Amino acid sequence: MKKKGLLMLFMTLLLAACSSGGSQEEAWKDMSWEAVEEEADGTEVRLYMWGGDEGINRYIDEWAAPRLKEAHNITLERVPMDAAEILQKLQTEKQAGKQDGPIDIIWINGENFKNAKENELLAGSFTNKLPNFNEYYDTEDPAFQTDFGTSVEGMEAPWGKVQFVFYYDADQISEPPSSFAELQNWIHDHPGKFTYPRAEDFSGNAFLRHVLYAQAEEPSNIYENSLSEADIQPAAESTWAYLKDIQPDLWRSGEHYPNDLTELDRLYSQGEVWMTMGYNESRAESLIEDGVFPESTRSFVLEPGSIGNTHFLSIPFNSSNPPGALAAINFLLSPEAQLAKFKPDYWGENTPISFDQLPEDMKQEFEAVDRGESVLSTERLEESFLPESEAAYVEWMKEQWFDEIVQP
Amino acid sequence: MNQRPRLFLVITLLFFLLPVLILAAQSFSAPWRFPSGSGLDWELGSYEQLLQSPMLWKATFTSIWIGFIVLMLNVVIGVFTGKALTTVPLKGRPWVEALLLSPILIPVLAIAMGLHIFMIRAGLADTVLGVIIIHLVPTVPYSIKIFHNSYQQIGRAMLEQPHILGSGFFRQLFTIELPLLKPALRSVTFLTIVISLSQYAITAIIGGGRVLTLPLVFFPFLESADASVMSAFSLWFAVIPVVMYTLVEAVILLLPYSRLPWRNKR
Repeated sequence: MKKKGLLMLFMTLLLAACSSGGSQEEAWKDMSWEAVEEEADGTEVRLYMWGGDEGINRYIDEWAAPRLKEAHNITLERVPMDAAEILQKLQTEKQAGKQDGPIDIIWINGENFKNAKENELLAGSFTNKLPNFNEYYDTEDPAFQTDFGTSVEGMEAPWGKVQFVFYYDADQISEPPSSFAELQNWIHDHPGKFTYPRAEDFSGNAFLRHVLYAQAEEPSNIYENSLSEADIQPAAESTWAYLKDIQPDLWRSGEHYPNDLTELDRLYSQGEVWMTMGYNESRAESLIEDGVFPESTRSFVLEPGSIGNTHFLSIPFNSSNPPGALAAINFLLSPEAQLAKFKPDYWGENTPISFDQLPEDMKQEFEAVDRGESVLSTERLEESFLPESEAAYVEWMKEQWFDEIVQP
Repeated sequence: MNQRPRLFLVITLLFFLLPVLILAAQSFSAPWRFPSGSGLDWELGSYEQLLQSPMLWKATFTSIWIGFIVLMLNVVIGVFTGKALTTVPLKGRPWVEALLLSPILIPVLAIAMGLHIFMIRAGLADTVLGVIIIHLVPTVPYSIKIFHNSYQQIGRAMLEQPHILGSGFFRQLFTIELPLLKPALRSVTFLTIVISLSQYAITAIIGGGRVLTLPLVFFPFLESADASVMSAFSLWFAVIPVVMYTLVEAVILLLPYSRLPWRNKR
């Protein structure tokens, strides 16, 4: 009994020691921008982000970090970690009452943002403080106001945007399909040469949502409304009919679907299938350069359009250096940083910056960038752009696809 | 009967050596698009990409350092626990043994999540020490089991003998037990290092990205379709246990009664 008592005492002391250390550091919210930059000077900022792409990693390590050090004397440290694990970590830290967390900036969007916001894992609204965001971005753009249907409320700053496109081998296919109806015919004409990743995969799920958009009377019926199974019943029915119709002519007769986009990419790389897909309209460029994809790889979009989304940078609730995080995010949003990200040398990703708000010379530099032959023109991408639906559709699609397509 | 060794050789070559050779070949060439009919294009691009990554070296040394400490702790805990289980008369020994094995029966991820809160409060989260402690969870039960079995094979009589002859505890340990435990030491070395080296989830949770081990850098690349970089990374990964195993083998030579390769050639 005595031992137990001692242990309890020890635990209580530990708890007490921890909770007393947690003074809310919210001072940055009232600081002027000059004060923020002054506070940020000489500090270290840790950016937690998915680390599976060499081009993206090099953009941060080789381009952004040295320049941020030079311009603002901030040391930017990139830490590779998946968004889901970051949130898990933050959740536990919140539970344990840890106020001086190691994470200063996270790279986030969609479902993860929704979870983070709902569980109050974010620092709060900050985008209105960022000079570069206010000056060079269309702050009223609906793409920055909502993220997969979740209201952003200034809690994350747009860092980049991507659009979903299909890739094909121009040596094998002279004229790619232009609508989902044509894709259906193409699949029947070329049995075994097309497939899509399972609904559990991020990209596979996006493909299925495209089919849903195409089967609705208007795509806006889906993305403008929150999920209601009764309302989308007709569109859902014809989606399953479409998928069941193509199934026998898919790769391996539709008995097996690739588990993720990587598997589909490998099949495409090996020439087993003739098409692949994915968010980021320019991602084929580096894969072609590395010899993974054939050099004749080109991309296309299908009617009624291609879904695009924005990804963001945010600050967690327990960042130990919010001023540093603000200054670093502001830097990453600057036209120079966005231009370097836009060029195919490192990342080649599209920018959420508003060209009309840029100085003339900067605007010209952006327009002069050659994104590579496998990337569609900006006009083509813009005219086919469709916004994401609410995050609930993703979950709904996972369950329904399994019941309708895999189970029977 | 003459067929047997040949069959063994063929199976070994086919299922063990060939895949490794293909992996090695792929790592030194551009991604092989097999059905396109072209052969392998030899190049070093994937290693360039690998070695350019500034995190690689740091993560490699962190991994080795953590693996080494985890191994030392495993040997100490394993040897003493294994010996105690063999020699100390104990009621309900099967229960104690089951209890000691239980960490590998419960998913280690569940343990790590629970321990994370405790580690945050104790200030161990996001530190190397915390990661070392959490790496003990999936390794120590195996070490105890292995050393326990070895001690049982050695037998009580063998352990009582030096005691009767008046040997002290450490003298007995170093001159009799450890030399006899060599096979167990080898198994524990290999197992511990491979397990510690490949822990992704628990290292990510407890280390929190502040402690960067090799899997944290390597695993995100599993999502890449670039087979060359993957192969190069895999080989890099495989070299570490081999190197450490060799080092431990050298340390084992220092034990008394070791047959040194440059002496006693019979």
